[in-house]
Amino acid sequence: MTEFELWLKQATRHLSKDSAAQVRSEIVEHYESARETALSRGATPDEADRQAVTDLGAAKAANRQYRKVLLTSAEARLLRQTKWETRAVCSRPWLKRLVLSMPAVALLGAAVFYFAGSIAIAKGLLADGLAMALIFAAPFLPIYTPSRSRIYRIVRCIAIFGAFGFVFGKSSWLLFSCLYPLAYIEWVRYSIRSKLPVSEWPKQLYL
Amino acid sequence: MNFKGALPPLILEALEQEPSHGYRIAQRIKERSQGVLDFKEGTLYPALHKLENDGLVASYEEVEKGRPRRYYRITKSGRGMLAKDRTEWRKLSSAVTMILGEA
Repeated sequence: MTEFELWLKQATRHLSKDSAAQVRSEIVEHYESARETALSRGATPDEADRQAVTDLGAAKAANRQYRKVLLTSAEARLLRQTKWETRAVCSRPWLKRLVLSMPAVALLGAAVFYFAGSIAIAKGLLADGLAMALIFAAPFLPIYTPSRSRIYRIVRCIAIFGAFGFVFGKSSWLLFSCLYPLAYIEWVRYSIRSKLPVSEWPKQLYL
Repeated sequence: MNFKGALPPLILEALEQEPSHGYRIAQRIKERSQGVLDFKEGTLYPALHKLENDGLVASYEEVEKGRPRRYYRITKSGRGMLAKDRTEWRKLSSAVTMILGEA
């Protein structure tokens, strides 16, 4: 493996397949221009290669910068999974109906338990129903601008924390650690949003 | 010389006159600073991607000497940002000169 190939390998580490291909193409383009310039100034091919790689700087530093602006493999995977989940639900009418009926069933259950005198269960079902309604109804709401998306996410966050507090009372802070996977996914989605131009956001990135 | 954070306005300035590709942008910055701003060229492209994500530059492909090259051009909001950066830089530069004195 040449010094330049090693540089490319380090600079594209942890980047998604598409991002890595993009980096490779632009850096190869740059490297060839730098090499041609060095050769035209009388350098030997070896010297030109070395000079072109030296001018690129540290591959690890470039990789750190690239990971801030291009999709990493983990982010690309999450984006693919979300797309797949949306397609899986939307392409099956029975699954779509089932998902949409869940909040209604929870709210109906809350009313039944309330009138039966089981207030604690009714409270839990009410909170679940409202949180589920907010999450499952999202694809049908007119959320197609970044500002609406931000408002929706804030409301959803308040609703989730509120539902936890409402159902579990004072001990709910102990259960917040269970929300770690949700927080991680939100963080990754935030990073994806900052890397993709708004015109390229898929619908699920608004939610 | 370390000029962390100053690269985006320098890229915008290099693109102000005409669209260009990455290598030429890097050479232009080095030449215009007479070699004082000698940055590592591998960090130029992440900065270009950031500017593109922010809508300050746009890219397109063009064939040069028989091979495709990615060219960048400054957008309207990029020109606005460059004008703002220039004003801020003049203010900062004159304030620092007032404290440290003329060279």
